[in-house]
Amino acid sequence: MAFPLLRMQLSGPVAMRTMEGVVTIVQEGRFQLTDDDGVSHLFLLSHRAAVEPDQLPPLQHHQARVRVHYTPARNLIGFVAHSVERSEMPAA
Amino acid sequence: MDMPARAAEEPQSRLDRMIPNESELTAGVRIEPGKSYGFFTDTTLCIGCKACEVACKEWNNLPADNIGLTGQSYDNTGALSANSWRHVNFIEKAGACGVRDNTQAPFQSGWLMMSDVCKHCHNAPCLEACPTGALFRTEFDTVVVQQDICNGCGYCVPACPFGVVDLSELDGKAHKCTLCYDRLKGGLEPACAKACPTDSIQFGELEDLQERAEKRVAQLHELGAANAYLYGAPGSPGATGDLGHLNAFFLLTDRPETYNLPPAPTRAANRVAPSLGTGLAAMAGLALAAFAILSGRD
Repeated sequence: MAFPLLRMQLSGPVAMRTMEGVVTIVQEGRFQLTDDDGVSHLFLLSHRAAVEPDQLPPLQHHQARVRVHYTPARNLIGFVAHSVERSEMPAA
Repeated sequence: MDMPARAAEEPQSRLDRMIPNESELTAGVRIEPGKSYGFFTDTTLCIGCKACEVACKEWNNLPADNIGLTGQSYDNTGALSANSWRHVNFIEKAGACGVRDNTQAPFQSGWLMMSDVCKHCHNAPCLEACPTGALFRTEFDTVVVQQDICNGCGYCVPACPFGVVDLSELDGKAHKCTLCYDRLKGGLEPACAKACPTDSIQFGELEDLQERAEKRVAQLHELGAANAYLYGAPGSPGATGDLGHLNAFFLLTDRPETYNLPPAPTRAANRVAPSLGTGLAAMAGLALAAFAILSGRD
C-alpha cells in the first residue's frame, strides 16, 4: 500500500489550475463563479490567498470578470481559490 | 400552526420584487432588532427529508462535504461541521419498540430524526472563549462568527458543549450557523425553517416559541406520548450549567444522549476557577515538598 504515497511524493504538490468567469454569489469567504459556458462552480478562499473575504462582495456587485487560480478540495464538491484577479473579456 | 394573516396577500407564484417583512407571511413574525429570535425544533414532526440541510447549503453557499457513504443509516452528512451547519440525525432505535425488533405495534416507528443546529446559547461559551471578538451577539440575540476578524485560534471549538463550532482546514477560520443573520436583516425567515415541509423547525420570537412548545408537549402528553419533553427551554434539561436557555431548543422523546446531545451541558468558563485553584494548589504542594526535601539535607 506504499505505492500511492510514493506516487504522491514523486508527483509533488497538486498543480494549480485557472478558471475565468463572473462572480455571481458571495457568502463570507465563499463565492460562486459562473464560467463562459454558464456552468457555476463553488470556491472557498484559501487561508493563504492574497484576497480577503471583504474584497469579494464588490466583485459580485460589479459582475466583475475574474481569473481564479485554484486547486481541488479533498472530500468537498468545491475548489480552493488561491488568487482572484480581475481579467478582461476575451476578444470575440 | 395557523396560516399567517398576511399569507393571503401574495397569492402569485412569480414576484417582481422583494416582499417587505416576508417573515410575516412565512413564519407569522416580524423581525425587529432588539428582540430575541430562535428555533423550536419539534423532533416528533421531523421526517428526515434533509430539506433544511439543502436550504442551508444553498443560501450560505456551502459546499457538499463527506463525499461517500458513512454506513450510518441514511445519514451521510455525519455531523455538524465547518461546511454543514444543519445536520439531520437518523437514529435507529434498537431494543424495546425499535426498528430492530421482530414484532412491532402498528403505526409505531423506531426511527428518531432530529435536525441539529447551533443552539445560540443565552450564555454562549464559544463567545466567551473568543479572544478576538470575532464571535459576537447580534441585535437578534443570536451568535455569529465575523469571518474577517476570526484568526483561527480554535478556542471556541472545545468551549462549545455541543460540538457545533468547527475550524475549516481550507480557510483556517471557525464556522457555524449564523441563524441566517443576513436574511434576518432583510426581514426573511431563516432558510432551514422556511424550507421545512412539516414545520418541525419553527422560527419565531423566543417567548412565543417557548409558549408554543409547552402547548405541544401538553398536547403530546394528552395523546399518550408521555416521554415528550423540552430540551434547552428555561428550566429544562439542556439549559443547565449557567448556559441560561438555548435560543435553538428541541422537543425530544428519548434521552438527550440518544440524539447525541449532552444531558447537562456546562459553560467552559465555570471550570476556569477550579482549574486555576487546582494548579495553584499543586504548585504549592510541590514547593512545600521541595522545601521539605532540601531543608532536610546537611
